[in-house]
Amino acid sequence: MTRATRLRLSAAVLLLLGLQYGLRPRLGDPRFAPDFALVALLLVALRVRPGAAAVAGFVVGLATDAVAPTAFGAAALAHTVTGYLAAWLKAFVVADNVAITALLVVAAAWLRDIVQVVAAHQLRGGGLLKQLFIYSPLAALSTGVAALLVFTVLRGWLAERAGARL
Amino acid sequence: MALGDRTGTRLDTSLFLTCILLSLIALALPEGLRAPFASGLRRTVLFPLLTLERGSVRSAEHRVRLDALRAERDSLALRAHEAPELLAENARLRGLLALGGRLGHGFVTAEVLHQAGVSDGLTLVLSAGAADGVQVLAPVVAPAGLVGMVRTVDRRTSVALAWSHPDFRASAVVAGARVFGIVAARRGEAAGEVMELRGVPYRDQLVPGTPVVTSGLGGVFPRGIPLGTVAGALSESAGWERTYLLRPAVHPAEVSHVMILSRARTADTLTEAFADTPRP
Repeated sequence: MTRATRLRLSAAVLLLLGLQYGLRPRLGDPRFAPDFALVALLLVALRVRPGAAAVAGFVVGLATDAVAPTAFGAAALAHTVTGYLAAWLKAFVVADNVAITALLVVAAAWLRDIVQVVAAHQLRGGGLLKQLFIYSPLAALSTGVAALLVFTVLRGWLAERAGARL
Repeated sequence: MALGDRTGTRLDTSLFLTCILLSLIALALPEGLRAPFASGLRRTVLFPLLTLERGSVRSAEHRVRLDALRAERDSLALRAHEAPELLAENARLRGLLALGGRLGHGFVTAEVLHQAGVSDGLTLVLSAGAADGVQVLAPVVAPAGLVGMVRTVDRRTSVALAWSHPDFRASAVVAGARVFGIVAARRGEAAGEVMELRGVPYRDQLVPGTPVVTSGLGGVFPRGIPLGTVAGALSESAGWERTYLLRPAVHPAEVSHVMILSRARTADTLTEAFADTPRP
């Protein structure tokens, strides 16, 4: 990754964090609103080594835990796993296809919720099933749509000179 | 980047395992250690982001208010008020204003800064903190009833434990009767859907629709804040006590504005302040 690309990537992450805290509160029910912080994490994870993606996931998760400390550490664990797997999977998916990348985001968002809910260990039975199979998939879908838009808009801007794309 | 570079390197694996280990340590930390750490993050690196979010929530709220004012001036005000979302927002704000009038003193208003993720609704980040006079264990209420209590306080924000959190308990009494019990979230249900009234003496039978309020015992919640209404009997413990299912007065995930009562009001009885609240 060139220095210029790294700078552009940092700017994109800052933009997404701005959207997470500046736009997301206006997007209706917080249970289903897109998670721009996760999109930012995956934007980074798809462009760095798995180890760095795991660290980025840990940082994002820790920040999430700090503002919603129901089970401190659960989000850090979930984001670490998600970031690492996303970076690792990048080698096996069609990296240049924005739609496939958005699908990857949907899967990652769902996986993140599953790991977080299981690690937090605060829902059981019907509540757990409702969370994992109704609320989480819907939130993952909205995050996927947001990722599709973001990746489409930023695709050319973040492309390496050599031709590597999102 | 070549496949060989991306997978299986020792550095990647060690970084991953280190992060996993740190996460597990964080999960195992006692409350006394994790709260200051989370509070430190909120006060430092996350402060600009939370400020941005607070501004966004306020801006959205101002926009709604502005829309309402314009609508009132406009000849189409009536039609505009029929929009369900606007009606709901107006009702919430009106309820809050009315409750504020009845409470008179000893409270701070705050916005709820809803967060992403599955834990929203179990704990709530509020836009008022120590600088506004918020104290730990202060009761958090909405016009319809009890939302929870403050668990940690920063300078500008605070974190409330909603009644839907598994650790939450409140001493309760049936309105107008001397039937006491303990209210807690129904374990295993999704956040903010149902609560339980436990420990009701076997001789006391409650009919569906009976309102349940805080008892004032325990020194945390003032007496008379609505908790919910009886939805039905849940179980009988060997002919000794009964547990009832309650329909909550407030759903924490749906609350946008709250009032944080001062600790000085713990000994008060607030039955009259909540007398006009609609029953769930």
